[in-house]
Amino acid sequence: MASHGLAYDGCNFFRQRLVLSTLSGKRVKIKNIRSKDDDPGLRDFEASFIRLLDKVTNGSRIEINQTGTVLFYQPGLLSGGPVEHDCNTQRSIGYYLEALLMLAPFMKTPLRATLKGVTNDPLDPTVDLLKSTALPLMKTFGIDGEGFDLKVVKRGMAPGGGGEVVFTCPVRRTIRPVQLTDPGKIKRIRGVAYSVRVSPQMANRLVESTRSILNKFIPDIYIYTDHMKGANSGKSPGFGLTLVAETLNGSFLSAEMSSTPQGQGGPILPEDLGRNCAKMLLEEVYRGGCVDSSNQSLALLLMTLGQQDVSKVLLGPLSPYTIEFLRHIKDFFQTMFKIEVQKPSEDERKGGDKVLMTCVGVGYSNINKTIK
Amino acid sequence: MDRKVKEQKRHQQKHSGPKVEKKKLKRQGGSAEDDERKRNPKAFAVQSAVRMAKTFHRAQDIKTKKHHIPLVDRTPLEPPPVVIVVVGPPKVGKSTLIRCLIKNFTRQKLGDICGPVTVVSGKKRRLTFMECNNDINTMIDLAKVADLVLMLIDASFGFEMETFEFLNICQVHGFPRIMGVLTHLDSFKNNKTLRKTKKNLKHRFWTEVYQGAKLFYLSGMVYGEYQTQEVKNLGRFISVMKFRPLVWQTSHPYVLVDRMEDLTDPERFRTDPRCDRTVSLYGYLRGTHLKNKGQVHIPGVGDFEVADVNFLPDPCSLPDAQKKRALNEKERLLYAPMAGVGGVVYDKDAVYIDLPASHVKQQQEEVRPTTELVQSLIDTHATVDAKMAASEVSLFSGSATLDPADIDEQSEVKEEEQAWDPNTQRNRRKVVFAEKEEGSDVSGSSDEDEDDESDDGDQEEDEDEDNLSTFLKEARAKSDTSKKNVREPPQVKKQKLEERKEEIPVFADSEDELEMSEEEGEAGRPGDSGNCSEESDDDEEAEDDNDENSEDEVEFPRHNHNSAEFILLFLSTGALKWKDGLQQKASEAFLRQQEADPNLRKLVYGPVVEAENGAGEEEELGGLFRVSRPQNSKKVQANAFDCSRFHPDTSHNWDLEEMLNSIRDCFVTGKWEEGQDAATLLKEDEELYGDFEDMETGEVHKGQTGQQDPAEVGPVYLQNSENDDHDDEVEERLVKANDDEVQKKKRMEKKRRLKERFDAEYDDGDATYFDDLKEEMQKQAELNRAEFEDVDDGTRVQYEGFRPGMYVRLEIPSLPCEFVTNFDPHYPIILGGLSSSEGNIGYLQMRLKKHRWHNRILKTRDPLILSLGWRRFQTIPLYHIEDHNGRHRLLKYTPQHMHCGASIWGPVTPQGTGFLAVQSVAGTKANFRIAATGVILDLDKSVTVVKKLKLIGYPSKIFKNTCFVKGMFNTVLEVAKFEGASVRTVSGIRGQIKKALSTPPGAYRATFEDRLLMSDIVFLRSWYPVSVPQLYNPVTSLLLPVGQKDSWAGMRTLGQLKHDLGIRTKPNTDSLYKPVVRAQRRFNPLHIPKELQKALPFKSKPKQQQPKGKMPRDLQRPTVIREPQEKKVAALAAYQTQGVPAAEKKQEEAKLKRHKEARKKLYRVMGQMDQKRQRSSLKGAPQDD
Repeated sequence: MASHGLAYDGCNFFRQRLVLSTLSGKRVKIKNIRSKDDDPGLRDFEASFIRLLDKVTNGSRIEINQTGTVLFYQPGLLSGGPVEHDCNTQRSIGYYLEALLMLAPFMKTPLRATLKGVTNDPLDPTVDLLKSTALPLMKTFGIDGEGFDLKVVKRGMAPGGGGEVVFTCPVRRTIRPVQLTDPGKIKRIRGVAYSVRVSPQMANRLVESTRSILNKFIPDIYIYTDHMKGANSGKSPGFGLTLVAETLNGSFLSAEMSSTPQGQGGPILPEDLGRNCAKMLLEEVYRGGCVDSSNQSLALLLMTLGQQDVSKVLLGPLSPYTIEFLRHIKDFFQTMFKIEVQKPSEDERKGGDKVLMTCVGVGYSNINKTIK
Repeated sequence: MDRKVKEQKRHQQKHSGPKVEKKKLKRQGGSAEDDERKRNPKAFAVQSAVRMAKTFHRAQDIKTKKHHIPLVDRTPLEPPPVVIVVVGPPKVGKSTLIRCLIKNFTRQKLGDICGPVTVVSGKKRRLTFMECNNDINTMIDLAKVADLVLMLIDASFGFEMETFEFLNICQVHGFPRIMGVLTHLDSFKNNKTLRKTKKNLKHRFWTEVYQGAKLFYLSGMVYGEYQTQEVKNLGRFISVMKFRPLVWQTSHPYVLVDRMEDLTDPERFRTDPRCDRTVSLYGYLRGTHLKNKGQVHIPGVGDFEVADVNFLPDPCSLPDAQKKRALNEKERLLYAPMAGVGGVVYDKDAVYIDLPASHVKQQQEEVRPTTELVQSLIDTHATVDAKMAASEVSLFSGSATLDPADIDEQSEVKEEEQAWDPNTQRNRRKVVFAEKEEGSDVSGSSDEDEDDESDDGDQEEDEDEDNLSTFLKEARAKSDTSKKNVREPPQVKKQKLEERKEEIPVFADSEDELEMSEEEGEAGRPGDSGNCSEESDDDEEAEDDNDENSEDEVEFPRHNHNSAEFILLFLSTGALKWKDGLQQKASEAFLRQQEADPNLRKLVYGPVVEAENGAGEEEELGGLFRVSRPQNSKKVQANAFDCSRFHPDTSHNWDLEEMLNSIRDCFVTGKWEEGQDAATLLKEDEELYGDFEDMETGEVHKGQTGQQDPAEVGPVYLQNSENDDHDDEVEERLVKANDDEVQKKKRMEKKRRLKERFDAEYDDGDATYFDDLKEEMQKQAELNRAEFEDVDDGTRVQYEGFRPGMYVRLEIPSLPCEFVTNFDPHYPIILGGLSSSEGNIGYLQMRLKKHRWHNRILKTRDPLILSLGWRRFQTIPLYHIEDHNGRHRLLKYTPQHMHCGASIWGPVTPQGTGFLAVQSVAGTKANFRIAATGVILDLDKSVTVVKKLKLIGYPSKIFKNTCFVKGMFNTVLEVAKFEGASVRTVSGIRGQIKKALSTPPGAYRATFEDRLLMSDIVFLRSWYPVSVPQLYNPVTSLLLPVGQKDSWAGMRTLGQLKHDLGIRTKPNTDSLYKPVVRAQRRFNPLHIPKELQKALPFKSKPKQQQPKGKMPRDLQRPTVIREPQEKKVAALAAYQTQGVPAAEKKQEEAKLKRHKEARKKLYRVMGQMDQKRQRSSLKGAPQDD
């Protein structure tokens, strides 16, 4: 039973490797993790991520050497169920949640993960963004139904954290192939302007400035203000904005920005933040595609794990993270994507080049789910 | 689809003549008469609503029963041959049948049926016949790959166990189509018995397969063959049969191997005869897409990594599409390499010529149109040595000539290969291409030795290539701007050669192939942080023949399909015409490639990923620095920040108006496409629905077809005011009531159109969920087919893997040597593809039922051989049953007639997969070999089986309801763990453990619901988790020596071991059965106190109950002993006095008794009536119950 493993160098794309390893059942060895660094080995947030992985799986073998520069991971089976995890505050919950989104549909029992830590920081996709883009995306793949939800119970800004998110996801045996080739036109823009431990006026100022830019395009804009107080407001002050553009065909493009964490860099005006965020949304619209740029890898993964049918999805330009993810998919599942560039025609004013990704699913079936 | 449907010639309808008259008459007069419902409405009236509902329900039930869950049709356009497995007990006529069928399809006779035999049976179908022997291993393996099973039954004998075993195997592993064939029917002399037997067998067969399953009768033999007509009929049946997709087969790729070659370096197995072999296996790919470098399981051998897969030209291809009904002789191909048919076989690097002594040459020519080639190859033989000696081979001008040692080595290899005769008893010689040694992609070939012609060719080509290389260098120097393909000049020459090598075939081919070749050349070096290398990545190393020009070989796998063509070209033209203008072509292609945009695909998967990092310039500047570059930057990259955010392009300034304008159309407020524009849509609607006639006023409102007044324009138009092209459209004002005729016509037309549209929308009213689903699947299937249709095969296999129907060659690097040395073509070799996680191992939980024909129940922890997925393996199951609280309780034995759970340690297999169990695969000792069947329920890395454990203790001290119990535990700690646990005594008194006592250790205080006795035993019921023994032992039956392949024996059961070693266990004496000796029980007399005695009624007084004591002696009267005379007298006297009247007396007594009874009854009834009356009078009203 020599199911051969894969070996990698360095800690980059750490999550991808572990997630794909878990899904494919191939063991993976990551060497030279920051071996030349002053502070070698795995960071706390990576260790925390490994612990989370250990919690949702059964029978995983994880070996880390003394210095933490070499990691060996032999995946077990995904068990799911209620999981509670204190995410390290070096990274936001989005970091952990992105991986969980990929794993959750393939558990033995429906996952109910309570993640505690930083809900919003400027580095990673925030929980609001994932909630508004990743979840509808997964719904198109047939991961739907009762108990598919992401709930922000408490909001905790970086660096203090103190936020809490509950993610529940039903299990699926197979994933549906999709044909997302036409994103459609944007019919409305929604958003959340949040603020904790600062004046509630901040959120309103964010909304005002954002609208000033986006109103040039579409009148249907509504940005919710979300001011959390007391126990729900976490440990650090901050504010931010998540914008989502919904198209007629049900795809979601999003952009977000949050204030710089307390004690790291200079303060930022909510007006600037709102405007910049709106511009980022425009950038995202310019990139276009049916899938948000931060969810490209999720979409590609679910396409790969689909039935043995052709799936297509139109993306904006591929992010470096996605490109690496494609390579990893090839390593773990031997699936290559057909990548075609669609150049916009002359008279169209629909942003930049799009990329049409086509693949044949591997016919993955959830081997963790019990049948009765 | 529509294009394919040929336009049929329309029916010419007659307009005049007697027939038309008749029809007209019929239509007119018949309408009333024909419709019975109208003529006789009563007969069709509803009689009973209930009955109607019932019939309706029934009809619906039948309709729904026909539904299957619709599946996406994934059958490829050119499907692989249908696997027909011929099964039956020995001596039933399997080989004869296959031989007859082959003769029927191909007009050829095949002597020995070894391995799969593929024939072309029709324009769209090929068949692969495989004989299944009586070994249960073979039966299991073949049942998994069969599409159709021909089940041969000896009618003169009846059913044999093998038949039923095979049927059961089939049932477990998905049920392929099964057709029964009765043979030996000529042994019946009596026609009636024949008919009866046929009927009996048929009905039994039907109960096993399905009612109405086809059973074929082969009535008798003619000259050792079945009757031609019957075989022909059978063949027809087979060639039109439809097959159902089986779950396992459609979700896994598999190959029924029809050819095997050992590629091991001869030197290696000369030095170490037991070294692992590199073997290439060939066959049609079936099932689903096969990915390169996947994992396969070979049943009977084990799991292996595939080093390389490539597809070869179809050796038994379907005829080209032609408009004719039958196949001609040339198209009736037969392919059976294991049986020694097939003439010439092209491999990727060699040609094999089969010269069987028994075969007639003509026949070969029939089979293979390429025999001229062989002939020519043989003809060239004479000149080889001389020319070879003359030739000095240099690959390229720049490179060194091949040194003599090299050549020596090669020639040595060649000799080895020539001598190499793989365990098949065939006169077979391998022709080694000169190319293999020389390392050019184009090759000449000879029958035995090196071919000078080809060598010459190579030389020429080498020169060409030399020129080419210089030219390329120039070209490269010119087009220095591009990033990819830039190799540093001072690098090792060899590597450059390699690079060029890879490109050369590309010039002849398409661009896509070019990409592929580049990519494969760079395998294992993908991109920026790509730093990934598969552990078993070095397929290339595996391939090379330890000579120096190994790099040259690397490219072979891709071009194998070309090589054959190359040879043909070579020989037919004599000159190398294809090389004309090669240089020019090459340069063109090269430049084209250089100037092309960086392909995204290459960016992602290919070697040019560096470009995206902006490090390209550095790279460009100096190939010199390239070597050191990755070391530095890679590390940084490898440990970069891991974030999925895609940071926005800084070049976009979103304050500018043109930037904002560039995405205007992404919003609903922007401009729409022609077809979706609201204005155009509205206009269309207007045309359709716009005009109507007011019936009251007679006014006709006309829809605007063209220009409109600004006042009429609705709000939608206002919104789309920029879309003003409708202004300059047709200027047509309507003229009212001018010509009504035209208007009317128009209206009618519009109405008709409207109705059509309405119909289209609503009239397919029966469209249920099922239909929708089916349509969706249909769409998906069409998309699947269409997506990669126009991509060439080389590229296509990279995207979707090798598709079923391809003839593939799989190279497996490390097969055990026994596989080759003990190779027996009679045994099927199956390559079963495994999906990504199926190579792992874990705990499996399954539902299992002992087969009802297996005559023993199964014992927990007895090793069992399971056939699951592709695999056959021995494992140790634990049987358990689920209690109502969800607990899995261990069972010692499987229940007799019930399902139970089983947990094993075994290969991860998807849930829902069926399995079967046998106790041993060796021999046919058992009556019915299949011990159990079942299905996988769950996979896990831990098990939850528990067994009951009763801890026993004894009371040491008893207070009221409290008791000290000792002997259950040994330490205080143990007790502490069980505090609060409920205990019970044998007599059923329940209690609870309270607390440990200090002395003796392990004793504790417990409280009970009642007072215990010292003789009570206290026990604690607990559950102890059981661990499943981790035994996974694949059945390696294929590795056994020829003739002993059915004698695989694995781990023995405990019982077998004891039996074999002659060990008898000494049983516990308590458990032995002994005759039951019961002591006579004595009871003390019942003592009733005097007081009580007094109170008792008379008849219950003990005095009355006491048996009468012995008569005192003085009261005893002496016995009178009569003399015989007296006896006689007394008897007579007695007869006189009592004799006859005795009966009368009896009668009288009976009469009296009857009377008495009757009277009693009467009185009782009267008394009751009295009572009733009294009661009713007392209560006043009759309130009886």
